[in-house]
Amino acid sequence: MDDLALPAATVITGSAGWLGRALVHHLATDAGDHARDGEVRALVLNQTEADAVHAVSARARAIIGSVTDPDSLERLLVGLPPDTDVIHTAGVIHPAKVSDFFAVNAGGAANVAAAVQRAGLRRMVHVSSNSPFGTNASDEDTFRAHEPYNPYLGYGESKMQGELAVLDQVQAGLDAVIVRPPWFYGPLQPPRQTTFFRLVRGGRFPKFGAGMQRRSMVYVDNLVQGIVRAELTPGPSGRAYWIADERAYTVNEIIETVGRALTDEGYEVKPGAMALPVIAGRVAERADRIIQSTGRYQQQLHVMGEMAHSIACDIGAAQTELGYRPAVALYEGMRRSIQWCRREGLEL
Amino acid sequence: MTGPASTPIHTPATEARYDAEILIIGSGAGGATTAALLAEAGFDVLVVEEGDWVEQGSVVSFSLEQMDRQYRSGGVTVALGLPSIAYTEGRCAGGGTEVNSGLYRRPPAELLERWRSQYHIRDLDPDEMYVIADEIESAINVTTVPGAVSAPSAVLRRGADALAWQNSESPRWMTYPPGGSASSGQRQSMTRTYLPRAQRAGARLLTQCRVRKLSISGTSASDADVVLADGSPGRIHFRHVFVCGGAIHTPALLQRSGLRERIGDTLAVHPTVKLAARFAEPINIPDDVPVHQVKEFAPEISFGGSASHPGLVALALADNWGEFSHALHEWERVCVYYAAITSEGKGRVKAIPGLRDPLVTYNLTARDKQLLRSGLSRLTLLMLAAGADEVYPSYHNAPVVRSSADIASLQRSFAATKATVMTVHLCSTVPIGEHPRCAAGSFGQVRGMRNVWVNDASMLPDAPGVNPQGSVMAFAIRNAQRFIETERPHG
Ligand SMILES: Cc1cc2nc3c(=O)[nH]c(=O)nc-3n(C[C@H](O)[C@H](O)[C@H](O)COP(=O)(O)OP(=O)(O)OC[C@H]3O[C@@H](n4cnc5c(N)ncnc54)[C@H](O)[C@@H]3O)c2cc1C
Repeated sequence: MDDLALPAATVITGSAGWLGRALVHHLATDAGDHARDGEVRALVLNQTEADAVHAVSARARAIIGSVTDPDSLERLLVGLPPDTDVIHTAGVIHPAKVSDFFAVNAGGAANVAAAVQRAGLRRMVHVSSNSPFGTNASDEDTFRAHEPYNPYLGYGESKMQGELAVLDQVQAGLDAVIVRPPWFYGPLQPPRQTTFFRLVRGGRFPKFGAGMQRRSMVYVDNLVQGIVRAELTPGPSGRAYWIADERAYTVNEIIETVGRALTDEGYEVKPGAMALPVIAGRVAERADRIIQSTGRYQQQLHVMGEMAHSIACDIGAAQTELGYRPAVALYEGMRRSIQWCRREGLEL
Repeated sequence: MTGPASTPIHTPATEARYDAEILIIGSGAGGATTAALLAEAGFDVLVVEEGDWVEQGSVVSFSLEQMDRQYRSGGVTVALGLPSIAYTEGRCAGGGTEVNSGLYRRPPAELLERWRSQYHIRDLDPDEMYVIADEIESAINVTTVPGAVSAPSAVLRRGADALAWQNSESPRWMTYPPGGSASSGQRQSMTRTYLPRAQRAGARLLTQCRVRKLSISGTSASDADVVLADGSPGRIHFRHVFVCGGAIHTPALLQRSGLRERIGDTLAVHPTVKLAARFAEPINIPDDVPVHQVKEFAPEISFGGSASHPGLVALALADNWGEFSHALHEWERVCVYYAAITSEGKGRVKAIPGLRDPLVTYNLTARDKQLLRSGLSRLTLLMLAAGADEVYPSYHNAPVVRSSADIASLQRSFAATKATVMTVHLCSTVPIGEHPRCAAGSFGQVRGMRNVWVNDASMLPDAPGVNPQGSVMAFAIRNAQRFIETERPHG
């Protein structure tokens, strides 16, 4: 089937974020993989964020507001033609407190979906995550396109509620597609990702048990491609797709590949990893649960708790139905990330 | 070989003393096939069976009456553990083959290859196994249903198709009358196939004859102590004995006879959890089971349908009776389905002096429990995708599931220790192979014994991940063929 026509205008929420800026780059600059004409509106929280978006693309039009504030969403969408698409990426992953998860990830998605529906725009692409589905039951298991919800703590619960809010609007007539990326990596990454490189360089990346847990990851340009394919492929409303690299990687493979990418970029890498018993992962998970139940959030514990499990997903549906073709895999993607960090003067 | 056989000769055991060249203990999938092959090769064969001969069709399939007459202990026995696992076994001429669902699967090629290399099974050639499988499939008439599948089976297909999950109809050992429907089949169990064949070739079958122990001296066994139909003791003298009492009673009998090394230490099962699902229209078929199976997540997880007469629907709803019981009033619109897993846990069978039945224990691993949760949740999603109005998962205090958001609370509240975990697939208590951990050689000869063989589900090296009867029969025939080659009958 032919693609939908390119939209007359494109709206991006969360556009000063990592994924948001990658989208602005690819959609609204000549260097982008999916450069398009027409207006690109970018929702940002404040002037600093507006500047960050303009640094990526001078032609993107930044609008200050928040997904938690429905009035600002009215302003964001005012005067747009009906064949406008909205790509909703705004979300929090590592907040200061658990309630932020719900305000932004659940409430924000509900507000955006309602606003798009009210404005009568063409399609919403909702960027969700693997977290509504938790972790695989075993290291051999792979998430299929359709899976039962099994949210992982506050973040997962809030992202699940976000999906459900969008699906409610689908019932009411909204045309929406859900995209579910797992752990993503690539240029423009936030500081916590440089910690990741530093841990690998120092031979201190945490590895539970034999390191045979499988992780799906997605290089940010692959993700942008998946989002654009979801936006432009005709089909019934309410579909959801995993968007990840071609296949999942084992933790051992991730450590080895990133180590090799760092070495090939001229960094000294201490071989090995910080071997931890599986039980340590369980303890971290338990502690994470307890801390979150008090409304607080501790990033390291959260990441540690998840690392003891597999999160692997099957991208077959995106490949066959959307024609999604992930072009970059782990080694190449990591080299590009490292080069970007160096250009930005970031210490690895 | 299908259709009714000439009236077979089977008599309750009454004599204090019998003699046989070959004694076969148990007349199920393993014992019946062994009996037919050895009798046809000219051996003098005596089969003893603890249960009764019950004509197929004289009892309603999957009914409570059947549970009383053809199952051991009225249907349910328990393997202790956290959670305990309830299991069922047939006890009648034909063993499990008389009461089971009849779903046939060949042993997958990867499985045979894994067993060969992991357990060092000599001369295990998939091509030869598939020649045997061809023979079995024609002997017991393995076939798909005529016309449309039943409504509960269509539920599995519809739900799986909606989710793009791989599913297929499992063929069964059945015959159908001309123009018959999907539920008009007659099970081609051992009493209709291999047992009559054995008897036509001269084998004798004694029912209501329970073997207590074998007399062993050195590397040979010579006699079996039995309990006759009237409860009095008897004795059977033999040259070779094939123990085919099923995965629980074969190791128990060997242990009572003084053979303990590695025997009974490696029980493997396919643990299952269940749910009941209610639909808008009537779907229940009390005396048959669905033929579709969902293999998308196999071998780790498989889904299928269970027997669903009202008594079993009530059982499935019992875990949260307060919330679920209303569904029993509409049992015609309710069906029971299962999620089965391949378990990494291990169990044990231990004969206890003075007790008739052995102590059975089984422990699930942490991974097994996660797989049960995932299996039950995915099966629930499938039911919603098939159009179920309400789903009732079988565990203590489970929620009624009506939407995909409700499945999140299922996942949160599920614990394997709260669930009714069951199994009907038991095996691997006397695994074969040359590997040191195997209790019998590559063809079923019990380690250290010259004339004692196992040839039933006990010998499978571990849980096959598919319905096991086809594998049990194929291995039993392979081993019987090898026995015939090496132990030619006299004159
Ligand atoms: C409810 C149910 C449903 C099933 N569904 C399927 C299915 O759909 N597909 C499939 O492939 N498999 C199925 N199975 C499993 C299948 O029936 C068994 O794997 C198979 O019957 C095992 O064969 P066996 O020879 O090892 O033991 P059995 O068939 O159990 O035969 C053992 C026989 O030995 C007798 N015996 C035991 N001890 C003694 C003793 N001391 N003296 C004398 N006799 C003794 C028993 O009474 C019994 O009749 C099911 C099983 C059950 C119970």
